[in-house]
Amino acid sequence: MNSMSELAIGLQWFFMLYFIGINCGYLMLNVLSLGSLKRYVESHSLDDLPRSVSGFEPPVSVLVPAYNEEATIGGSVRSMLQLNYPDYEVVVINDGSKDGTMDALRREFALVPFPEAYWQRLPAQPVRAIYRSTSHPSLRVIDKENGGKADALNAGINAARYPLFCGVDADSVLERDSLKRVVEPFLEDPRTIASGGTVRIANGCTVDNGFLTSVGLPRNPLALLQIVEYLRAFLFGRLGWSPLNAVLIISGAFGIFRKDVVVAAGGYRRDTVGEDMELVVRLHRLHRTRRIPYRIVFVPDPICWTEAPESLRVLKNQRVRWQRGLSESLTMNLGLLFHPRGGAAGWLAFPFMVVFEWLGPLIEVAGYVFMITAFIFGVVSTEAFITFMLVAFGFGLVLSVSSLLLEELSFHIYPKPHQIGVLLLMVIIENFGYRQINSLWRLWGLLLWMFRSKARWGDMKRTASWQSGGGAK
Amino acid sequence: MRFDQSLATVPDRVETLSWLPHDPLLALVFQFGLLIIACSMLMLVAVFVLRIRLVLRQRREKRFAAAWQPLLAECVYQVPETLPQVPRAMRYHFLKLWNYHHESLVGSARKNLEQLAYALKLEEISRDLLHQSDLRSKLIAIVTLGHLGDRTQWHELRALVADPSPMLSLAAVRALLDIDAGATLTWLVTVMASREDWPLARIVAMLKEAGPGRVTLPLIAATEAAAGVEGDARQVVRLLRMMEVAHTESIGAVVGRIVRAATDPEVVAAGLRLIQDPHDLELVRSHLAHESWFVRVSAVRVLGRIGEPADRVVLTNMLGDRHWWVRYHAARALIALPFTSLADLEIIRAGLPDRFAADMLGQAIAEARTA
Repeated sequence: MNSMSELAIGLQWFFMLYFIGINCGYLMLNVLSLGSLKRYVESHSLDDLPRSVSGFEPPVSVLVPAYNEEATIGGSVRSMLQLNYPDYEVVVINDGSKDGTMDALRREFALVPFPEAYWQRLPAQPVRAIYRSTSHPSLRVIDKENGGKADALNAGINAARYPLFCGVDADSVLERDSLKRVVEPFLEDPRTIASGGTVRIANGCTVDNGFLTSVGLPRNPLALLQIVEYLRAFLFGRLGWSPLNAVLIISGAFGIFRKDVVVAAGGYRRDTVGEDMELVVRLHRLHRTRRIPYRIVFVPDPICWTEAPESLRVLKNQRVRWQRGLSESLTMNLGLLFHPRGGAAGWLAFPFMVVFEWLGPLIEVAGYVFMITAFIFGVVSTEAFITFMLVAFGFGLVLSVSSLLLEELSFHIYPKPHQIGVLLLMVIIENFGYRQINSLWRLWGLLLWMFRSKARWGDMKRTASWQSGGGAK
Repeated sequence: MRFDQSLATVPDRVETLSWLPHDPLLALVFQFGLLIIACSMLMLVAVFVLRIRLVLRQRREKRFAAAWQPLLAECVYQVPETLPQVPRAMRYHFLKLWNYHHESLVGSARKNLEQLAYALKLEEISRDLLHQSDLRSKLIAIVTLGHLGDRTQWHELRALVADPSPMLSLAAVRALLDIDAGATLTWLVTVMASREDWPLARIVAMLKEAGPGRVTLPLIAATEAAAGVEGDARQVVRLLRMMEVAHTESIGAVVGRIVRAATDPEVVAAGLRLIQDPHDLELVRSHLAHESWFVRVSAVRVLGRIGEPADRVVLTNMLGDRHWWVRYHAARALIALPFTSLADLEIIRAGLPDRFAADMLGQAIAEARTA
């Protein structure tokens, strides 16, 4: 009995210290982000002056993989064709959609078959046909056999004409100067091989003619909670790592890469659902181990808006998929972990990801289950239980409020004061159930990965309610 | 009570707080949790305060813009006779507004804006802001001084060119070019070549604004000097890229010399891109078999621009190159040749034994038809 009690106390302290450790880690990232954000905002304070665009920016191929995106593809591609950037092309890759995606594209953009000498540099499923738009000369559509998102992106890279490519989700809505902002790190430092920007949630916003015309909050509570979550994930989850050159994730929703570097690395891996993260981690590993100077940069500007799941089922699927993607990305590149030449990516970011993001759900769920069960059965004292809950809630609160503070110090995306009030309310509410259920889903994703269950992409049903302007508060 | 006595009573007082855990370690963690929540509450208040400040600032800026926009618009025709004062708190905002208009307007409207600026003593405000510590103020001050052509801060701006921050140093470069491009370029071009942290796209844009008349000679001098130094290939490449905005007829001789002497493929490719003189065609053709694909691409592109009828055969052969981009640019060069019609190219395509070459030419013909 004595040893049982000692074990319980040991576990109690393990979970308590784990929660303190993980959150102190995030707080450190927060501090780093604060410095980066201040510098970024100051140094880009004159970006809206007319002379800030040189007209000599490198051309970019915007790659849009689409699978069953009939509802949103027209608006998304229209917005991508109106970007404020001197030279770019849009390549839509229809990945064997089963719905009317291809018909919608044909109808909206007057496509005609084009005899392209397709260059298969990266492995991808066979291409059925390549089309060119007669109404928009910079638009091409690749119609190919279904092979998954990574496969579609590889086909897009094969067809891309320009030295930089930008992978964009078909349901994304971009800011007009999104390309200009994300290309900037490539201009500023020739060592830059990849750059990503902040993704925000489009639910509740009004989109007109493919562009976001007003920022609103959704009525759906799940989407509201995800807004706070995205703020946290992007404003310090990624920005904090950027000055250390240790950004391990560039969102698949919007990220720019140097094409030659990605082709040399073998393109996107087709055997993972986390192809975006896997590529970035692999680029770190290859460049670090081969001693090739490089930079992978995160730009805090809100440049891309995406539709968030509004039902528990779809949200669960998304989170399970993300956790599996994370697991695959890390295990496929374990060579980076504590590699002598791993730098901040191998010695800080990678171990952080392993302990707090990858195995985190396991320890978090075990922590909650243990503390609650042990408390009910009297193994853990009321004092210890309350202290544990206080620490878990306190850190959850401080991290979310601090991300809102970062947002308020920088971009002020949500213009109306009552919107900030609603978000602050969400910051508190998310600690009572939402975060815990998220940990459960992520644990499920981890287990599915362990048992090698097959995963697919593109099973999210898009409502695109924001495209007609509905739902804004 | 003495301080040490007060300290001695702390544990007793803590014990009296019955709601704290009795285990001292647990109590410490508990208090840490409380501290974290207190920090959250403070941040929450900070978010509200920041939002209130933002709303007030936006209202103030809106009122200010409503008062000043018509006056700035009037400057298109004449400088308004009576001008309100610019409050100290609105100095940055006004400078930004003024610079926006200055960069959007040309000719006499721009001159009027400059008169207005002197009437409001913007040069004095800018000098003051230039010496402030925050980057935002410094940047707007530099840009304004450049637009005003203010020479009084020349030495400060010149010193800023050496600043390690690319943002600050490039703003100073632009301001110096705005003030006196001729005097600046003589020494600045070599700095532009060596500062690899300065984005080439921005530099080329600035040189383009300065105009080929001003940039050509300093570029030629700097390129010849850099080409004469061993191991400066990267600088030579940067300078050759900058030469794209120079007078093409003036740079031909130096570019030809550099391409002939160069062993670095990057230098050769950058040099070939600049060749415009048909007298250099032999030099261009001699690089069609170069081992680096991007040199071959540069060579076929030049042939598309200045090639002779005989080059049709050369380019047709290049359609069979092992690299996709060489084949693609060879096909486009064939299309660009002035003495070759699309019908001629269809005939050539039909006779090509290499399927890859035929496909590539087919693509280029289709592109030309849909262009």
